[in-house]
Amino acid sequence: MTHEEIQSLVLTAIELTNQSREKAEHVPVSTDTSLFGKQGHLDSMALVALLIDIEDMLQDQDIHISLSDERAMSAANSPFKNVASLVAHISHLLEGE
Amino acid sequence: MRHILVTGASRGLGLSIVQHLLAKGNVVIGCARSKGELKHENYHHFEADVANEEQVQELFIKIRKTFKYIDVLINNAGVARMNAFALTPFKNMRETIDVNYAGTFMCSQKAISLLRKSANPRIINMSTVAVPMNLQGEAAYAASKSAVESLTRIIAKELSSFNITCNAIGPSPIATDLIRGVSEDKIARLVEQQSIQKMAQPEDVLNLVDFFIQPQSKMITGQVIYLGGIS
Repeated sequence: MTHEEIQSLVLTAIELTNQSREKAEHVPVSTDTSLFGKQGHLDSMALVALLIDIEDMLQDQDIHISLSDERAMSAANSPFKNVASLVAHISHLLEGE
Repeated sequence: MRHILVTGASRGLGLSIVQHLLAKGNVVIGCARSKGELKHENYHHFEADVANEEQVQELFIKIRKTFKYIDVLINNAGVARMNAFALTPFKNMRETIDVNYAGTFMCSQKAISLLRKSANPRIINMSTVAVPMNLQGEAAYAASKSAVESLTRIIAKELSSFNITCNAIGPSPIATDLIRGVSEDKIARLVEQQSIQKMAQPEDVLNLVDFFIQPQSKMITGQVIYLGGIS
């Protein structure tokens, strides 16, 4: 998958997240969006739901990776901090496939 | 028709659970290290060792492809080797933890995305009265199930936003393969400590399975129910 394809998949997953949220709580569908941590739009369970949606979408393409990471809840190094870091994390995992 | 995944499905209590759920009209997906011998139009067997991460991953990929979702996961696969703490080989302790705890952990984790697609998603874990009774000779087994109980309570909290309930059943002694190696005397002494001084039957566990999976039990989560009046 290309960087753009991964980015597009993450943004689609955010749109999916927004479907189950009130309009005022919508997560901006943008590459600049902060996801988790101090300025993040997601709490830990919403983050889990987003990651499960992304794993599901990847499985639909016969790509079976786990996005879990020991740095998940780390304030400084979490790969889930923002859209850019999440896209980089997925890209890195796919390289190892 | 509910889709129900039962681990450790090929014999003992697991097989009883499978047969019971099939009789109630469910689609049952069984997994075990051995081949499934049960023939039924709604039974689908997969060979997998729940202590093996790769095999668990493969199992859930196959289930997702075939069934799309599951309504219930019953983490029944377990091993029990009774031995004095001082004489328990490290390897046996490790295997007990790997199958009973790590297997439950991995299957529950992999099942989340499939359970989310269900209207009444449930996880049912298996514990034992050996946990509250702190039974001698069961250090590895009771500790592994104690870990399963903690896991049950934490999963109940963490997955409640997905409407997934997670509970555990703690059977008192039942005549299954799991306690085949335990002496009759020891079992009798154990049963004497129960409020209800009788051996349990598989039906007693099946009753709790029915209770946990019914839609009306949506407010019941993080609970461990022991048989025989042990608390």
